[in-house]
Amino acid sequence: MGVITKIVNWGRRKSPWVLHFNTGACNACDIEIIAGLTPTYDLERFGVLLKGTPRHADVLLCSGPVTRQIESRLKMIYEQMPEPKFVVAVGTCACTGGVFKGCYNVKAGINTVIPVSAYIPGCPASPKALIDGVTKLLNSLEESPKKK
Amino acid sequence: MSPEEAIKNDLERKFDFLNGNITIKRARRIFVDVPFERFHDVLDYMIKKMRCAMLSGITGLDEVENFAAIYHMSPEGKIMVNLKVKISREKPHIKSIMQYFPIAEMYERELEDLLGIHVDGLPEGRRYPLPDGWPKGEHPLRKDWKGAGLEMKLEGTDA
Repeated sequence: MGVITKIVNWGRRKSPWVLHFNTGACNACDIEIIAGLTPTYDLERFGVLLKGTPRHADVLLCSGPVTRQIESRLKMIYEQMPEPKFVVAVGTCACTGGVFKGCYNVKAGINTVIPVSAYIPGCPASPKALIDGVTKLLNSLEESPKKK
Repeated sequence: MSPEEAIKNDLERKFDFLNGNITIKRARRIFVDVPFERFHDVLDYMIKKMRCAMLSGITGLDEVENFAAIYHMSPEGKIMVNLKVKISREKPHIKSIMQYFPIAEMYERELEDLLGIHVDGLPEGRRYPLPDGWPKGEHPLRKDWKGAGLEMKLEGTDA
């Protein structure tokens, strides 16, 4: 049904539900993500909700370089998210490994484990950069409103 | 006489092999060099008679000729007494102190995994903090461990 698909896609584009996951980070990027959702920067007024389970989420906000212990858990969480899903790598450690690249216990960056849609650099990534990045991701979806 | 000097005199009176091995670096910090064979006697005396009820941590060192372990303890939480014991480099092993402090299991597993010092008396358990499929015999915090070829060594494992 074309009309219902259009309405559902409009809802997904305009107010995505996010899941936040920390793969071994120092917690600075996590605090900035939560600061983006609380009343100072207030993404929640746009309908962006922070969910507790991957089965309800559209966007996975991921921080931290992936340590070897958490790699299998991250894959499991990614597979539990329903299609269509997007992954946003928050912070320098999540993009390329940051200062920990080359260490014996990290695989550098999230894109060695799961496919990533948007990269937001910064140490830590400020909430303004986070909002900018997520907005650009959602605008790029408008050109192809029919999702797979 | 300050409390640090009181502790120092108490230990020197009881164990005469500690003469000259106790230094007071600054206020509230005492460093004691204990020989490997008499370590558990000194530990027993400090816990039972001097009532050291707090273990802050166990630090492992790799000085190039030998390993060392420093036990950070404190009577009543005001003065930190650091007991340093040297461990030989071939077949390194120490006895566990879990019968006094059950939390010491965590620190001793770190010594086992990262430096390779075998601890007698640890219960069976998984590796901590290295990942589960890490190959045996690779101890990353030793000074002569090189990370080259790590991907190949981890090829068939779960890590």
